Amino acid sequence: MLFAPALVLLVVTTSAPLVYLLWTSLMRIDLTMPFLSGFAGAANYVKMGSDPRFWNSLLLTLIYTTTTVVLQVVLGLSLALLVMQIPRGQTVLRVAAILPIVLAPVVVGLFWRTLLLSPDFGLVDLVSHALGFGSHAWLGDPQLALVSVIAIHTWQWTPFAFLVLLASLASLPPDVFEAARIDRANAWQRFRRITLPLLRPAIVIVVIMRTMIALSAFAAIFAATGGGPGTATEILNLYAYRTSFTEFNLGYGAALAVVLLAITLVISFLMFRMRRGR
Amino acid sequence: MSRGGSVSLRNIVKRHGSLTVLKGVDLDIRPGEFFALLGPSGSGKTTTLRILAGLESHDAGSVVLDGRDVTGSEPGERDVAMVFQSYALYPHMSVYENIAFPLRMVKTPNAEIDRAVRESASRVKIAHLLERRPGQLSGGQQQRCALARAIVRKPRLFLLDEPLSNLDAKLRLETRVELRKLQRALDVTAVYVTHDQEEAMTIADRLAVFMDGNIVQVGTPEEVFRRPVSIEVATFLGSPPMNLIPARLAGREAAIEGHRLQLESDYGAEREVLLGVQPSRIDIGAEGIPAQVDLVEHLGDSVIVDLALGATRVRAKLPERTRLAEGANVHLRFDASDVHLFDPQTRQRITA
Amino acid sequence: MRHTFARRFALAASAGMLLSVWGFPVLWALLTSFKTERDVLAYPPKVVFEPTLAAYRDVLFGASSIVPNLVSSIILSLGATFLTLLVAVPAGYALARLELPTKRASGFYVLATQMLPPVGLIIPYYLVLQKVGLLDTYVGLIVIYLTFSLPFAIWLLVSYFEDIPREMEEAALLDRAGRFRTLWYVILPQVRGGIAVTTVFIFLNAWNEFLFAVVLGGNRVRPVTVAMFNFISVEQTRWASLAAGAMIAMGPVMLLGLIAQKHIVKGLTVGAVKGGGRR
Repeated sequence: MLFAPALVLLVVTTSAPLVYLLWTSLMRIDLTMPFLSGFAGAANYVKMGSDPRFWNSLLLTLIYTTTTVVLQVVLGLSLALLVMQIPRGQTVLRVAAILPIVLAPVVVGLFWRTLLLSPDFGLVDLVSHALGFGSHAWLGDPQLALVSVIAIHTWQWTPFAFLVLLASLASLPPDVFEAARIDRANAWQRFRRITLPLLRPAIVIVVIMRTMIALSAFAAIFAATGGGPGTATEILNLYAYRTSFTEFNLGYGAALAVVLLAITLVISFLMFRMRRGR
Repeated sequence: MSRGGSVSLRNIVKRHGSLTVLKGVDLDIRPGEFFALLGPSGSGKTTTLRILAGLESHDAGSVVLDGRDVTGSEPGERDVAMVFQSYALYPHMSVYENIAFPLRMVKTPNAEIDRAVRESASRVKIAHLLERRPGQLSGGQQQRCALARAIVRKPRLFLLDEPLSNLDAKLRLETRVELRKLQRALDVTAVYVTHDQEEAMTIADRLAVFMDGNIVQVGTPEEVFRRPVSIEVATFLGSPPMNLIPARLAGREAAIEGHRLQLESDYGAEREVLLGVQPSRIDIGAEGIPAQVDLVEHLGDSVIVDLALGATRVRAKLPERTRLAEGANVHLRFDASDVHLFDPQTRQRITA
Repeated sequence: MRHTFARRFALAASAGMLLSVWGFPVLWALLTSFKTERDVLAYPPKVVFEPTLAAYRDVLFGASSIVPNLVSSIILSLGATFLTLLVAVPAGYALARLELPTKRASGFYVLATQMLPPVGLIIPYYLVLQKVGLLDTYVGLIVIYLTFSLPFAIWLLVSYFEDIPREMEEAALLDRAGRFRTLWYVILPQVRGGIAVTTVFIFLNAWNEFLFAVVLGGNRVRPVTVAMFNFISVEQTRWASLAAGAMIAMGPVMLLGLIAQKHIVKGLTVGAVKGGGRR
């Protein structure tokens, strides 16, 4: 059985920890007050209901995930359609698009925090200044900070959607489009009735993959804002991390992680159903 | 090297879940014979070949090669070579390495490999292509490469799974002849799967007709063509297929649409039958069974005429010179010796 | 089609925009890395300046040299890549050849493990590694890296193995190659492309990993991603050094991205275009 070693490893490295995580989430483990540790039942989950920081992070997670995914797909698709029209130089564009993908998210977060977004010296701030929008505390202002981290994620990962959709576009059979032209479909109709339905499987997969990644996004935000200012960019992921590893409240952190996990599973389940459904 | 290569299949049963693919196949193939397994797709002929090769297991019965029961032994231990429908050439190896592969696997000295590869390659006329990759070959050349890979090891049994189906029509005819010559020259037993009755007829010494998981008839091409055992076999052979005309049979006489036809032997009591006659055996003349011309198809060297004989459709293959107007009223004739009689219920051949 | 001048111009302009949005920030960082700290803070920014390697010198040979971190990253990435391939190649092959119901179940399991958010796993990892004393060790971290690399690698490889017709193996079996030699001589050479793609991806992901490294690593095991992060929290304004460090830290992956561009695009799309569609 060639599959056996992989199965064992996967069980050991993913499934077993998962069970352990569930167990931990039912415990009170506070490394700052170890004497209080013990079984806590559902207390961690009950606590969440009245924890405004949890609700805030949940809301931020949803905003962050939907906006980044929608932006990536819309921008990626538009760019792919555009680039398909360009006869030459596609390779150069592809290389440019590869760059953000291969960079470590934590480094991207740092890049943006310093070289691009810092007031007065950052590239974005300079451009904004030159265009007459003035200088801003891009990561210091709560609302702008959320916009900024969304922009960072979108910047790094739109190329993914772009490249995937470009490849699927290029693999579509040309004769279908020729037939559609002969059938008097104009450019918009061809896009609506031919391109989009044919691309649908690829788009759905991109949406699923990007949603999973957005839900587990961590390093870029962690590096750019650390979840702040305050809790302005503290998505569930960061909240669970901060609770566990800066406040050392592992039990509650585990419970938060379980909630994130449940959300991820529910969303992916729904998405896969949707994909199979049609 | 030959005089091995006899094959016996004993009551082979193969099931896929609840579906029985082979329902007890018995088959004997003699050494040196070119034997075709013929049948429509899904009839079990390819499965039989794969069981013979050891690529597929079966649920009951035994496979005997040269008197040795090889049921359950590995494909590599059976000393059989196979040409796949898709050729299954190793795309990352040169033609040379492809042909050498079966020898390398049994640690043959390099000099011997080299000699054998070159000999096989020149036998199938691809000696000049040895350095190429399969991807750089035409369909016909790939087919030859697969052939060379199969013959290089001088197997006692040579299996071919629709080896010509991916070639164009002209090449198929040429290769057919060459395949036949090659098999004669090597004096090796060959089992050949095809759904093309013409191919089977022209290439095989004997053939087995598969229908729905059973062998329904075994014989030389001529025997099978002359005396098909059932309606299914009769309509599967021949292009266009045999005509089946409802008739009343009584004694030495058959009545078609009121027209009487004298038969060669006495069939006894009166009953309904289906009277079969090959399109090529039908003639059109001044007298005979009245029919109307529906459609005339010119094939170049011959003409296929669609006729309405009452409610029955009859097709006749006539010489190319025939001039017939669509809609014309004509008369059909055929010899009593060309008539096949089938029971409409059992669908089996009726013998006197 | 009508290719008017305006249309062409618009296309060229938008392509240029595209290039600058993604390419320019990286280029900007590259420029910054050759500036002096004083030039970095000049206002308006200096596009023309006297390039210097001071920042690189500082990052490589200064007090907090990045070199040990590079070594750390190399060990982690190569270790994870090697181990993953060792396990994933046979697993992918087996999975591709399994009977359908089993295959679907195993395929789903592999896919599901790929979806687990790392934050959910890191708490148990932390607790377990702490207990067995593998915190801040290469072995511990490499094993943990398998959690994300293994499912992905198997998933990617399966689609490559599935592309090889079964007849190829059957031909090899008839050619007396046996199971193992069939895999070695016939199957593996044909999935070289897939293995290359997988290798590139696992390496990239391992090199860029941050969360596991920052929590489960420490003073001994500290890859460049963690080092970069620490850099900013310690030294707020030394941007030239930061940029130089980032260039060194990200140099290998950027180089890989340029060299293996085709592989990366393929890896991204395999899943989206076909791999995911079948299971």
